[in-house]
Amino acid sequence: MATVSPALDAHGHADDHAHGHHEQSFIAKYVFSMDHKIIGIQFLITTLIMLLVGGALALAVRWQLAFPWENMPVVGQLFGLFRSEGGQISPEFYTMLFTMHATVMIFLVIIPILAGAYGNFLIPLQIGTDDMAFPALNMLSYWFMWPAIVCFGCSFFVAGGTAGPGNGWTSYPLLSDLPQAAPGSGAPQTFWLLGLTLVGVSSMMGSVNYLTTIINMRAPGMTLFRMPLTIWSMFITAILQAFALPVLTAAGSMLLFDRLNSILPTDIHSVFFIPANIIVNNAAPTVGGGQPLLWQHLFWFYSHPAVYIMLLPAMGMVSDMLSCMCRKPVFGYKPMVYSMAAIAGLGFIVWGHHMFTSGMNPALGMTFMTSTMMIALPSAIKVFNWIGTIWGGDLRFNGVMLNCSGFVAMFIVGGLSGIFMAAVPVDIYFHDTYFIVAHFHYVLFGSTLFGVFAAIQFWFPKMFGREMNDTVQKWHFALSFIGFNCTFFPMHLLGMAGMPRRYADPYLHGYLEHLLPMNRFITLFAILMGVAQLLLLGNFFYSMFRGKKVGRNPWNANGLEWTAPSPPGHGNFDIAPVVYRGPYEYSSPDAEAIGQDYILQTVPHVKGVAKFTHH
Amino acid sequence: MKKFWALFFFFWPTVAIISCLIAPSRGWWFPGAPMSRTGIQIDGLFYLILIIVTITFVATQYVLAYALWMGATKDPGSKAFFSHGSHKLEIVWTIVPSFILVFISLSQLDVLAEIRVISKFPEKATKVAEVTARQFEWRIRYPKPGSELTTEENPGDLYYVNELHVPTGKPVIINLRTQDVQHAFFSPQLRVKQDAVPGLVIPVWFDVLEVGTYDLVCAELCGWGHYKMKARIVAQSQGSVDKYLKELEAEQNEDGTKSEAAKTDDE
Amino acid sequence: MSMTPSLKPLALAGLLSVVAATVGCSDTAFESSFVYSEGTLSLMREAQAGTKENPGVKTLLDDRFGDPQHLKAWEKLPIDFGGTMTSVETVVESGDGKKLVILTVQEGMALPEKAVSVQFVSGACSGETVQVAKWNPKTGEATLAAVPGKEIAAGDTCAIDRGAGLSSGRMLYMRHCSHCHGTTGDGNGPTARYMTPKPRDYRNGIFKFTSTNDMSKASRSDLSRIVKYGIPGTYMPSFLLMKDDEHHAIIEYVRFLSMRGEYERKLVAELSSDYSQNAYDSRLKSGEKKAEIQKELDEFLAEDLKESAGTLGDDLAEIWSAADTDEAVIVPSVPRVPDTPESRRHGRELYLSKTLNCADCHGIDAAGNGPQTIAFEKNPAKSDELYNEPGLHDIWDNLNQPRNLQMGMYRGGRRPIDLFSRIHAGIKGSRMPSFKNTPHEDIWHIVNYVLSIPFETDPGATGIAPIAAESVAAPAAVTAPAPE
Repeated sequence: MATVSPALDAHGHADDHAHGHHEQSFIAKYVFSMDHKIIGIQFLITTLIMLLVGGALALAVRWQLAFPWENMPVVGQLFGLFRSEGGQISPEFYTMLFTMHATVMIFLVIIPILAGAYGNFLIPLQIGTDDMAFPALNMLSYWFMWPAIVCFGCSFFVAGGTAGPGNGWTSYPLLSDLPQAAPGSGAPQTFWLLGLTLVGVSSMMGSVNYLTTIINMRAPGMTLFRMPLTIWSMFITAILQAFALPVLTAAGSMLLFDRLNSILPTDIHSVFFIPANIIVNNAAPTVGGGQPLLWQHLFWFYSHPAVYIMLLPAMGMVSDMLSCMCRKPVFGYKPMVYSMAAIAGLGFIVWGHHMFTSGMNPALGMTFMTSTMMIALPSAIKVFNWIGTIWGGDLRFNGVMLNCSGFVAMFIVGGLSGIFMAAVPVDIYFHDTYFIVAHFHYVLFGSTLFGVFAAIQFWFPKMFGREMNDTVQKWHFALSFIGFNCTFFPMHLLGMAGMPRRYADPYLHGYLEHLLPMNRFITLFAILMGVAQLLLLGNFFYSMFRGKKVGRNPWNANGLEWTAPSPPGHGNFDIAPVVYRGPYEYSSPDAEAIGQDYILQTVPHVKGVAKFTHH
Repeated sequence: MKKFWALFFFFWPTVAIISCLIAPSRGWWFPGAPMSRTGIQIDGLFYLILIIVTITFVATQYVLAYALWMGATKDPGSKAFFSHGSHKLEIVWTIVPSFILVFISLSQLDVLAEIRVISKFPEKATKVAEVTARQFEWRIRYPKPGSELTTEENPGDLYYVNELHVPTGKPVIINLRTQDVQHAFFSPQLRVKQDAVPGLVIPVWFDVLEVGTYDLVCAELCGWGHYKMKARIVAQSQGSVDKYLKELEAEQNEDGTKSEAAKTDDE
Repeated sequence: MSMTPSLKPLALAGLLSVVAATVGCSDTAFESSFVYSEGTLSLMREAQAGTKENPGVKTLLDDRFGDPQHLKAWEKLPIDFGGTMTSVETVVESGDGKKLVILTVQEGMALPEKAVSVQFVSGACSGETVQVAKWNPKTGEATLAAVPGKEIAAGDTCAIDRGAGLSSGRMLYMRHCSHCHGTTGDGNGPTARYMTPKPRDYRNGIFKFTSTNDMSKASRSDLSRIVKYGIPGTYMPSFLLMKDDEHHAIIEYVRFLSMRGEYERKLVAELSSDYSQNAYDSRLKSGEKKAEIQKELDEFLAEDLKESAGTLGDDLAEIWSAADTDEAVIVPSVPRVPDTPESRRHGRELYLSKTLNCADCHGIDAAGNGPQTIAFEKNPAKSDELYNEPGLHDIWDNLNQPRNLQMGMYRGGRRPIDLFSRIHAGIKGSRMPSFKNTPHEDIWHIVNYVLSIPFETDPGATGIAPIAAESVAAPAAVTAPAPE
């Protein structure tokens, strides 16, 4: 399936550009760029800023849980919001905090940083081509993020400041459906839905691009099974996005239509999710005919694959990085590929495990339970393979390696805690408690985000031609790891004690009063963890300008991206890559034959050395 | 320094295990023993999974840490062990987890059916009340003493709020509904949870083992007052429940003129 | 709960400052502030803040009620401020500048477990608040910091932690109530704007659902009922599981806020016709001199307002205390009439009658859709200006349509006595008038009819079928009309 890229001229550009390369203006080059590398970096910087926003919202949530109803620093007095209450937030404000924390983290941080930033930057470089299949579409996919951010931002302000969208990122009707059902269910919810739709459009544009590029534009010799796992993960993720997102968009549109009478000056609206004769907040009884459960099915049909969208790219990247840092091939390359495919495939048929207590048919519950149990298997296989990759390796203990090891360690925790919830009777107890919160933070933050921390350091030299300070990265890792585990591991115990999620004041209930000290402990470490991120950001932005300059391949890695200059110029490669081997030939006999412990994919077969075949 | 990092990865899983070991004595564990029959089964399943998960956790985390330790104490200059993987190992660690997962799946099917499938509810289960969740409290409706609970209100039905009386020692069913948005009926000590869906009437059954008062809280985001829906389930002997309902009936028919003597006469 | 006898001297003694007893919370917990009413803020600046010698509305208000962190216990008011009244039995010098005193209480009362501070009511130290360094609840021995220049003598009366109850009520109120009802009890907390109906604004001193007659305030047990059982059909939830002492403390604080609001309103009423900002501006325009108006205001503040400040307090005390007496409670003169079809039919006739005219608001079939619900009504508080939207309003100017009686949702309670009280006293603050002159038997007939409305198969098809033989206590089932 290898395709031949167009012949490159002396400048490394394809023939079509031979008409003369005009100087681009600053705006065209750095703002509305169609170069995948710039777009990738734009995504990266935007999402890092959004990480701060999402983190600040989380710290506000933690403050309320540690010091309920006390003056909340900064936020309580901002814009005179809670002046006469002395900075004490109101309960609907709390619902907004956790809703927007989740929304920002999921849609504006994790998904764009994996697919938008690293997908964009790495795919053409790792498969050996000059840019994405659709550069203009690529640019649009970034610029659709900004209207989404504006919509989400507006949603904070339109209902008078103390109430933004407060119906959870899951936005279940009827709470989100009827504007009178909650303070944030009016205009804020509408803006939220618009933002969600725009983010979805951005994602879908990206996924179309990635699929086309990976299938069609690989360098000669780059067979599918010579692709790095990063590319496999991006490929599979793009399939997930392409097939699952339309369902979310449809559901979001249905919800918008249900609320049409609050958006437009009309009485007409659909009732997809609204049953008859419900009176909320003393409004007129609903006309009805709809089913609230329908939203849950549609929403989770997307959102479950979404969690794999938020995990697979990190898994792929970690495999690449571990292999490089352990100077060993990935243990079980093909099983790794098949596991990712299995996770993605099974990921489409497990959505009901979010709905075990929802009132859906229990027979459905049994089928979802089975598929959920099955999906634990490929994840387990991947963990064993990562450990196998590290085993016997010549390890380099730098920030990249530590973050990847942290990824594996915390993915073990996240995956194992998932087994409890796969068992339906146990999930009946744990659903909507802090046990679930612990589980998904371990997989999304403990795993994915630590994988991203590693990726930031690993591909930084390629992006900027300089390296990040490894000592600062190690400090960042240690503080983040300690902060993270001290924040989220106790949440398993809180969930066991029966502490429900989304409670502004759990201590109202006698059986939860004794959990205040633990919640304070968690908040303390959450603050530590938040502050530690400044180390990463500082290191990132400082090193961009003042980091030590490095050459093409500072890590002595095998991938095609390391054959290009650091940073790559327009067109990426000065010498068109041709691929002769897989990406994980560290410490192979061929490498030894040339006196190295690595051998680039572009190095042809070495005479005299037995050819190593893949199995 | 390398050894430090390897030990770092030994240390934290150990802290996790220790925290789980000390957790029950500090109240960071289930809120008491399960107080319903299905609760006992749920806890049993939980502990089974906990054992399996703990063994897996210990094995994988310490093997990971050991792999890091091996890397940290390697002879400088010796190269990495070159291997693309091992078919045999892949098969082993695919089959063994599969068996374990299938085992867990099969262990729970009966429990699941008993809790959720209406045709598998205990035969003797009686409908004792209708619990209607609303923003932000629990409205209870008992049928008129001597009558059956129906989905419609009838004259003589008894109403209360935030306190549900049920008899112990026999399976009871409540009809769960909601007046407005989604809520969820969650009693941690009874290990019962069921979402209340607008437009649906969902039967929930449980069998309370001991006399006592148990918490009832909401477990599905229902608005700003989600955390405020504080209620209790009072489990008493059937005789006490009947007495309570009679008192409730008298209170509900209070006309402001009855003297103390007249009150006792009516009962 | 009337004032205990030992508190009467305090009422004459004047004010005592309440220690903001934090009871374990940090100093910055629930730091909030009272908001002055629109009425206050519409007065002339000097009327609000007062002049050099004479207090204005704000000064009087702050003087007698304080701010949330430093509440004041105006002993005149029938509020249980908490704390224990004691008197000094003996005084001993403990040598290090501190005083060891032994405090005793009246018979039947107990010394509290903890003592944070002592407020002196009589003697040389009257008005002083002294911190307690050590306290022995068994013997009543308290080690107090000395008051410079003043002696503590045996026989001095003092209060231990006076106001602790009110303070804890405030904490609880901030935790449970303020986000709807506002820190000032003005029904305008952050969440209030999203609710229908709006939370109660306590500052009129009016509560809708009471057991007292139409001229009385709400009693403590009325407020207790509301907090305990909530108001179905509104966002006022039931706090059934709240502990009794917390429940009591919150109710006292709500009464405190209510009285404060009423006091403010009445002071403003004295001043608003002549000394509101608008009146001031128009007087200036019509040629009066600024200095003259100021002088007039000064005199008013010095004489009339100061006097009112005292009498208003007395009025409040009287009317609020009266609400808790047996005389205020509505007691029907006859027990409930048996709930028969005849009674219900009679009730329906009364409902439709021209004298009572229930249908005018509640509608012919009791669906809350009478003609009044679509007419434009006049606002008596704004010189009969018409309201912007059609329908009935309450005194808080919110749209407040008559109840749809087919729903079976009774906000003030569903017991027969509750419905009787609604009819007899009306719903205070709303357009539901008082029918206290209607014979009680007739009211019972109407109650029987109203309770049967949700079960009617057709509107007006009231109990035409025979009823089962039950005691009078149980309302009977209504079945379909028997074929003629």
